[in-house]
Amino acid sequence: MIRLIIEKELREIIGSTKFALTFGVCAILILLTFYVGAKNHQLNVLRNEAAKTENLRRLEGLTDWLSMGSNRIFLPPQPLEALVSGISNDIGRTTKLSGKGEIVAQDSRFNTDPIFAVFRFLDLEFIFQIVLSLFAILFAYDAINGEKERGTLSLSFARAIPRDKYIIGKMGGSFVAVGLPLMIPILLGCLMLPVFGVHLTGEEWLRFFLVIFSGLLYFGVFLTLSVFMSTLTQKSSNSFLICLIIWIFTVLIIPRAAVLLAGRTVDVPSVDELAFQKGRFRSQLWQEDRNELSQFKPSSNKDPMAMGNEFNKYMQKLTEERDRKTNELSYRLEEERGNAQIQQQRLAFSLARISPSAVFSLAATQLAGTSLNLKKNFHDEARGYQRTYAEFMKEKTGMVLGLGEVLIAMRSGGEEEEEKPINPQELPVFDYRSRPLSDVLNDAALDMGLLMIFNILFFTGAFVGFLRYDVR
Amino acid sequence: MFRMLVEKELKSILQGPKFIATFSVCSLLILLSIFVGIQDYRAAVKQYEAGIHLTEQEMEEAASWRGFRTRIFRKPDPMQIFVSGVNNDIGRFSLIHSSESVRLVHSVYSDDPIFAVFRFIDLNFIFLAVLSLFAILFTYDAINGEREIGTLKLTFANPTPRVRYILSKFIGSWLGLVIPLIVPILLGMLIVILYQIPIHGEHWIKLGLYITVSLLYFTFFIILGLFISAMTKHSAVSFLLLLVSWVIFVLIIPRVSVMTAGKIMPVPSVAEIDGQIDRYSKVSWEKYIDDMEVRLQQRRREMDGMNKDEREAYRDAHLWDWMEEDNAARQAMQAEINRMSRQLSNELMRRKAAQQEFAFSLSRLSPASAYQLAAMNLTGTDIGMKERYIDAMEKYHDTFTEYTEKKRKESGGGGGGIRIEVSSETGFSFNVGQDRGALNNDDMPQFQEAKRSFSEILIRTIADFGILVLYGIIALVGTFVAFLKYDVR
Repeated sequence: MIRLIIEKELREIIGSTKFALTFGVCAILILLTFYVGAKNHQLNVLRNEAAKTENLRRLEGLTDWLSMGSNRIFLPPQPLEALVSGISNDIGRTTKLSGKGEIVAQDSRFNTDPIFAVFRFLDLEFIFQIVLSLFAILFAYDAINGEKERGTLSLSFARAIPRDKYIIGKMGGSFVAVGLPLMIPILLGCLMLPVFGVHLTGEEWLRFFLVIFSGLLYFGVFLTLSVFMSTLTQKSSNSFLICLIIWIFTVLIIPRAAVLLAGRTVDVPSVDELAFQKGRFRSQLWQEDRNELSQFKPSSNKDPMAMGNEFNKYMQKLTEERDRKTNELSYRLEEERGNAQIQQQRLAFSLARISPSAVFSLAATQLAGTSLNLKKNFHDEARGYQRTYAEFMKEKTGMVLGLGEVLIAMRSGGEEEEEKPINPQELPVFDYRSRPLSDVLNDAALDMGLLMIFNILFFTGAFVGFLRYDVR
Repeated sequence: MFRMLVEKELKSILQGPKFIATFSVCSLLILLSIFVGIQDYRAAVKQYEAGIHLTEQEMEEAASWRGFRTRIFRKPDPMQIFVSGVNNDIGRFSLIHSSESVRLVHSVYSDDPIFAVFRFIDLNFIFLAVLSLFAILFTYDAINGEREIGTLKLTFANPTPRVRYILSKFIGSWLGLVIPLIVPILLGMLIVILYQIPIHGEHWIKLGLYITVSLLYFTFFIILGLFISAMTKHSAVSFLLLLVSWVIFVLIIPRVSVMTAGKIMPVPSVAEIDGQIDRYSKVSWEKYIDDMEVRLQQRRREMDGMNKDEREAYRDAHLWDWMEEDNAARQAMQAEINRMSRQLSNELMRRKAAQQEFAFSLSRLSPASAYQLAAMNLTGTDIGMKERYIDAMEKYHDTFTEYTEKKRKESGGGGGGIRIEVSSETGFSFNVGQDRGALNNDDMPQFQEAKRSFSEILIRTIADFGILVLYGIIALVGTFVAFLKYDVR
């Protein structure tokens, strides 16, 4: 019986003009997303390589590693970013760093190319969140009351059809008829990726398919919700209106309102305040050290080279102590700010999780590695690289300079041995590693679980609603 | 007859259950977006004032004209309450220092990416996405719906001119949908006044124009609904077609056009340009140090054969000239680096402007894009905002650099900073420069924001305004033509 109902539902949906048109639009959109995503990724990879090359080229001709100054590292584009952009275009992707000191990422894509901020990117998250959810409503808003209006519901129940089997068949049929055909353009899109030079690792493929699975769960939420609304109303126009209003609230209002409410409730110190406090403290310490430096007396006044070296060592010692104190303050301030941000984030996302749209967004961005953790992860990886870079500079030059620090260089008169240029290829390479899969799955599991709960909730609602429905 | 048809249309809209639900939702959304916009604006003003205050304190504590620097912050504009545009994506301030190029850094979204996760709701978004959807909801069955329920042939059982009928449909729908929206919009304006937001004469005019453009956009979707309804026999089909059109106009065309432009006219990234500037800086500094070495050796040669007292006297007599010479060389090098940096940045901006022009021209196939561009332009939150600020900041950078250089000379040429001398004859000496807070910067030049004239804003908006009117006319003509051929039975 269920199989018969599912087949009937399948035939009805797949044979309709509605299906042909919406499937056509969705398929084009999905394929376009994959194509554009692949091309964007290729372009971003080329730009990243060009930036790294330019960074190395400026070292050409230098004869001393100390004169290199700072080094730039870049957050490399990840393949999944092209399909679920998240906040990857909002955060800074370039960091200028030395062997010690603060790490500040700058130059977000939207800041450097604000044209992309005007209309934003087309990605899978957007397709599922906005387009497919609307289409789920379109197919299911009149699943029950539409049949009642057409008279086919009373006809169906002229026979002894169990209501529970009917509603299960209806929902199963709707999901199979509307959800499964979407896998065709998605699978075609997957084939397009390697053709356009986007190669995903095994782990990335797993994450990608989990994103698709989350998308289908999200789609199911709106499908079951629409059927549920259809069992609560007698007229299809009313159920459609209710579904649309719910869509507007869950997709557009609740997520944003949650973040704004959290922003008002939890006060996070601004970056300007922190920068000022750090700057002031650094300045105070420098004033103290300045006085110490002015009292420096070399052990011998005969050899300028020896005097210069002794002064450098003394200045380095004071600098290290100053850096230690500055880093302590900086660490404390950043930690306070970080804790406030985490609190704000927890509140915002807890409130936002009332909306299945927010839940899906959080799951998809976690799995794709473009959630808020991306900024923290880049910062942590940059900090790790800074330690490697510091060790390298210590090995090459015997010291580690911070950004803006100076060194006294002495040259003796007479002929000097010609210095060999440095080999830029010796510079340690910044190898960015995404968060481990286990951490990502842990974080996404809650949201994927919530999507399943929403499905079960609305399914149960539709089931109970239909058991009481007047089919005449 | 005409008046009766308009009244009938008005009644069917206003008395329907759809209307109360959608009008309530729209009113709530409009008021909420304005309220949220006001809160964000006030937070932005607080952050701006705090930033300026902190910068002033930093400048008061500065000890050296050479290291003297300031920060210029983008001033929040009350119009961002209604259209946030790219305001939160672009950097909030730039450091101004003689040896640093102007660069807007620390955007709201990069500092607090939590706000980028779901982005802000503004009035513009409500009109762009929500109200256009509701316009479709009310008009998708304006013609074919009446045909389905049988009232269309009843109406035309009377000698009703088709043109008059379709015109009355349009006017009735427009009055029934637009007039009720005026209520929450006016309430929103009242909230803005009650919160004492500094909106003045020109702002009100821009706001009036923005509301006009928004209503024009909304009208387009009303007409589009009538058009598709007059083209199809079944309301389900017209609804589907309208929804697909909405998705294409509002969501697809704008994004695809920008991506296409990015593909056809690629521009180098800022990171590449920075790398080139860094490379040039390095080469310039190396040359400066080599030239400095040559000058030092020359000066030593001039003192060959002198005893200790003669060398001291010679050094004292020439110290000022030597410092001026070194400083002039350093300034020339820095100016050259700045010139190169600006040249590369200007070239990048030029290419980006060309890409942008192309992208927006393509995107104007969609009335949603034309509306959004017009809205951002009227409220000053368009991408031109970044260029305007950078141009103004670069002009200020030159003025500021001249000012600090003048002050450095007035203060005795050293300008503070550190001076280290190492010599086998005189030994070691270290000059620490001036104390903190010793600089008097009361006469420091003030930053002048780049203001666009009202006529400039109008000229840039008129094209998009015209596009919306054109689309509306095309859809209206199409509706008339389609209905004239419509089978009313």
